[in-house]
Amino acid sequence: MIRRLAGLVLLAALTLVPPAAAAEAPKPFRIYMALWRGWEEAAQGFKDYFANQNIPVELIVRNAAQDKSKLPEFVAEVKRLKPDLVFTWGTTVSQEMLGVIGKVDPARHITDIPAVFAIVSQPIEAGLVPSLASSGRNITGATYLASMETQVNLIQSWRRFRHLGMVYNPLEANSLVAIHELEALGRSVGFTLTALPADLADGKPVPASIAAKVAALKAAGVDILYIPPDTFLNVHRDLLTGAALEQRLPSYAAAENPVVTSKAMFGGIYRYYTVGQLTAYKAEQILVHGKAPSAVAIDPPRRLSIIVNMPVVRALEFYPPMKLLGLAEVVDPAGAK
Amino acid sequence: MIRLDSARSVILRLMVLAALVLLPPMAIIFAGALGDFQQGMEPELDRKAATIGRDLAGDIAHAATLGIPLDRLVGMDEFFAPVLESNPELRYLALTNADGRILFVAGVQATVLAPHYETADFEQAGQRKAIIDAYLDIAVPLEVKGERLGHVHVGMDGGYVPARLHEILIDVVTVLAVAMIIALEVLLYVVALNAAGPLKQISRTFEAARRGDFIRIPAPGARDEVGRFIRTANDAVCRVDELYRRLIAYAEEVKSAHFDKGVVERVAAIEDRIRYLFRFSESGSPEVVHHRRALDVRLPLFLFVLSEELSRSFMPLYGGTFSLPGVSPEMVAALPIAVFMAAIALASPFAGTLTERMGSRRVFLLGLMPAVLGYLLTGLAQAEAGLLVGRVATGIGYAIVTMACQSYVSKAAIGEQKAQGLGVYVGAVLTASVCGNAFGGILAEHAGYRAAFFASAVLAVAAGVLAARLVDPAETVKARREAGVGALFRLLRNWRFAVFVVFAAMPAKLALTGVVFFLAPLYLHQLGWEVADIARILLLYAGSVVLLSPAVARLADASGWRAGLVALGGLIGGGGLLLPLLGGGTAPVLLALLCLGVSHGLSASPQLALVSDLCWTEVQEIGRTGVLAQVRLLERVGSIAGPILAALLVPVTGYAGAIAALGAIAMAMAVVFAVAAVAYGTGPTIGSDAEVRP
Repeated sequence: MIRRLAGLVLLAALTLVPPAAAAEAPKPFRIYMALWRGWEEAAQGFKDYFANQNIPVELIVRNAAQDKSKLPEFVAEVKRLKPDLVFTWGTTVSQEMLGVIGKVDPARHITDIPAVFAIVSQPIEAGLVPSLASSGRNITGATYLASMETQVNLIQSWRRFRHLGMVYNPLEANSLVAIHELEALGRSVGFTLTALPADLADGKPVPASIAAKVAALKAAGVDILYIPPDTFLNVHRDLLTGAALEQRLPSYAAAENPVVTSKAMFGGIYRYYTVGQLTAYKAEQILVHGKAPSAVAIDPPRRLSIIVNMPVVRALEFYPPMKLLGLAEVVDPAGAK
Repeated sequence: MIRLDSARSVILRLMVLAALVLLPPMAIIFAGALGDFQQGMEPELDRKAATIGRDLAGDIAHAATLGIPLDRLVGMDEFFAPVLESNPELRYLALTNADGRILFVAGVQATVLAPHYETADFEQAGQRKAIIDAYLDIAVPLEVKGERLGHVHVGMDGGYVPARLHEILIDVVTVLAVAMIIALEVLLYVVALNAAGPLKQISRTFEAARRGDFIRIPAPGARDEVGRFIRTANDAVCRVDELYRRLIAYAEEVKSAHFDKGVVERVAAIEDRIRYLFRFSESGSPEVVHHRRALDVRLPLFLFVLSEELSRSFMPLYGGTFSLPGVSPEMVAALPIAVFMAAIALASPFAGTLTERMGSRRVFLLGLMPAVLGYLLTGLAQAEAGLLVGRVATGIGYAIVTMACQSYVSKAAIGEQKAQGLGVYVGAVLTASVCGNAFGGILAEHAGYRAAFFASAVLAVAAGVLAARLVDPAETVKARREAGVGALFRLLRNWRFAVFVVFAAMPAKLALTGVVFFLAPLYLHQLGWEVADIARILLLYAGSVVLLSPAVARLADASGWRAGLVALGGLIGGGGLLLPLLGGGTAPVLLALLCLGVSHGLSASPQLALVSDLCWTEVQEIGRTGVLAQVRLLERVGSIAGPILAALLVPVTGYAGAIAALGAIAMAMAVVFAVAAVAYGTGPTIGSDAEVRP
């Protein structure tokens, strides 16, 4: 009897001890990863964090391959497998699997298992959380866009500017938000914004109109071109940045691609890999340290990556200050001369 | 400053000898060390400059590699600025191109450097270090892929090493001076205890013997030369005593047994004659007297006060490193000083009672316990609460120990001149204040605040070891009852006394703790002075008190002009503190401290005498000591209020304003007192009760 009691106590003790603290045979955390575009940088950063921290995890990886119809299957699978945590990639996956506020249905969404989201540009606007300080729900996550203030400070640290230019897709909500924020900042910091929409035809933006808009900006006396995170502009980035270079207009991009794979002069972004690591850190707070997801704030990574496209800099002869150069990652495939 | 007493000549000669023997080798060793320091420091600085230059050159080469032309680098001022800021010995940074033309420079006008750079040939390694004006220029080559693009120039202050040496020199001289004063104290103690004191006793015995008095002999003390000499001398007295007793016994025998009445009468007459001419102890042999003198307590007292004074110059700075939620930083810094003063005030009456019951030696040792514990707590404190507890403990200990010493001095000094006894006490306190202040500042600057408190604990323990050797004075005079609350009210009913305490004594202490202990260190620190320098600046105050007091005491005695001196002192002090209003910088603070020192130097001795004048009847009833104890207690109200008031003022007025505000208060009080002093009347200063002149 006593022995059996002792055994029970031991069993209770074992279940009470957090798994990470149990030195022998640590039971790995089971994490269900719902991806949108397959295994990429953010997912890799998420996985590497646990490896680096020596936290044993068992990853169940599912790829929706940009097919929204697969997501209900994922939800069903999660309910069946009952993992310790769910990772959702991108706005769509997060909205579909976790539900937007006011429309959360425990039958169709995951509510009883903690979840972390990554690569959601605007979690509040997407209806995932009411505020970045706390989700008030069983979820948390990492954002990946630098605040507009941070971006403007970065541009100012390259050169003080008085006139910022922008070409945008009038159908893209992200761009409209950016314009709104830039105008507000301009009033307090002291610069003007000239934002020109791309022409529309058949309800679609016309790529061919981009170059003319850039020329118009240059004519308006714009100092620097701001390139917002905009799918249309991302697709036609060569048109946009090529036009800027031709007009000898320095350009700043809020996303990686225009700088790294095109001709934007520089950019301030959070690397997907870093965002993945930060998301994993938040998962650790929940799994290892037992925090409630609602107690973990939603924020971007601490360190902004500054990427400088050196061939463009040389072509424009618009050189970065020494301090900024010391902090920047330089893209310079060919090298000088 | 130091009363050398009767051993003056011996000690003076010993001091001169000790100085002659000790100072030259110390000076030689020190000069050698300075030379080594200089030799070691210069290459060290060169290396540092070269390292900085290489780091900068590396970053610039990186930019050049990326295709940025050297002359079109952007943000070089922001690039150079943090390097200049974090290395105080650097004066400028510059970048020249391959032709020696200055492209960018920060910290100095390009025209100063240009002539040199255009002519110098940096290809030769020997020319990479040059003296340009007051600068030392180190040129670091800038190369990209083997091509020489130019040079990064790191300019150091050519006077940096001499300036550092100068600072060290001042510290060392201070330490030497303090060491010599401490050596003097130790010599004074050793000579007084082992030679001068016993010899004085034996000379007194012989002096008495010359007058026919053979009643007392001194205790022989240690088994050394002096002890043997005293034993021999005592033996002689004892021999006389023995012969006397045999003679008297014989006379008695003759008186009682002789048949011839005439002879008996003659013998009785002779006996009476002898008894008239010579006096011997009634007890059958000479009485051994353990005579102790005020000087014996001087070294323990000196060491103890020294231990407390170590932290004087940086206490508010140390206090300022703590924080308390909801309390201003200034108040957090002021509280440790205020609670220390409050602890002394509250513990003093208790300490007095204790001394009456237990004797000075035991009370001294008892008082050391909270004092040492307090130092350790203060040094280890992690939060304001711990710091305050530590200061309260030390305050209680301070009250007990100083009271024990005062009692020892006042009892031991009976028979000697009392003034001399009190001189010993005040002398030890003032000397220790000067030494502790100077030495503590250096200690704190080089070893840290906390280490200084541990040094305090060690000094206090050393004081205890010496105090353990004290013998309580043999003559236990029934001290007059310590005046209680009743006496306080009785004294305050004397309006002259009340006016004196409120408008002269309290403001003096208010200015002392508020300005010297609290505001001056903080303000000087804000002005950029290091702790050791702050301590030396504060010496202006202590030094002028020490130098002025004795002369003023004589003047006050000679002229009888006491209230006037007290009033004048108050006006000078209050006026001096207004000086920081006139302008920023250090000079007004120096003058203010000097004025305050002059003020307290002028008023300290006359204050004591004035109390006796004002309270003649009360002195007759409560006793002079009792009256003075009440003055001490009352003026502590000023001591406690000083830092608190200052801390309340600082957020509103700033440091200079707060000093001036306290000055204005002191000034206003002094004016009231001056008016009242006239009203005191020109009536006779009753009783020339001039015993105490510290």
